[in-house]
Amino acid sequence: MALRNALLRHLRVPVQNLAVRGSNQSQIGFLGSMRAFSSHDDHLSKQDVVDRVLDVVKSFPKVDPAKVTPEVHFQKDLGLDSLDTVEIVMAIEEEFKLEIPDKEADKIDSCSLAIEYVFNHPMSS
Amino acid sequence: MVDKAQVISLCRSLLRAGRQYPDYNIREYAKRRTLDGFRMNKNLTDHSKVEEAYAEGKKQLEVVERVVKVYLAYPPKTKNIMELKLQ
Repeated sequence: MALRNALLRHLRVPVQNLAVRGSNQSQIGFLGSMRAFSSHDDHLSKQDVVDRVLDVVKSFPKVDPAKVTPEVHFQKDLGLDSLDTVEIVMAIEEEFKLEIPDKEADKIDSCSLAIEYVFNHPMSS
Repeated sequence: MVDKAQVISLCRSLLRAGRQYPDYNIREYAKRRTLDGFRMNKNLTDHSKVEEAYAEGKKQLEVVERVVKVYLAYPPKTKNIMELKLQ
């Protein structure tokens, strides 16, 4: 799988040469080229997930951005309460376009758990 | 007996229901109002008041779910400027 990805990265055709498939033109400059016939197997990278989760937590008004690390605990380290935790988890859901069931969402009480959940979820984007 | 888990669950249901509004302003208001409402009553100790607040929340949840259906039938034709990403 990793070999295939590495190989495909070298064989990538610039999108400008392909016929337009109705793909989102504005994203092309940022992502390089989008492979036309590949299945959805390029999952988010761990670093990408970490960065985005931390951004979500840092942009929360009650949080001091300087304290936010990938291991920080919402209630113990950041001084948030359970309602703030609910709000943060909802913001993470929106960022990664996920639906986290209540049972799982109740368990997420720190950045590390959030990162782990998002990274392991097949539908994150 | 309304316990903390039920309150959190109600908060989440309200937030999720409010997210479905196609109109940006109402969507933001729903989120703001639920969080403010729950925070305001966060420190209630009197159990009858807690039950009262919980019942009020449940009623509002029904309202939101009903009204979302109406709004989805007539979605706005353009995106609100606040929803556009900065270029």
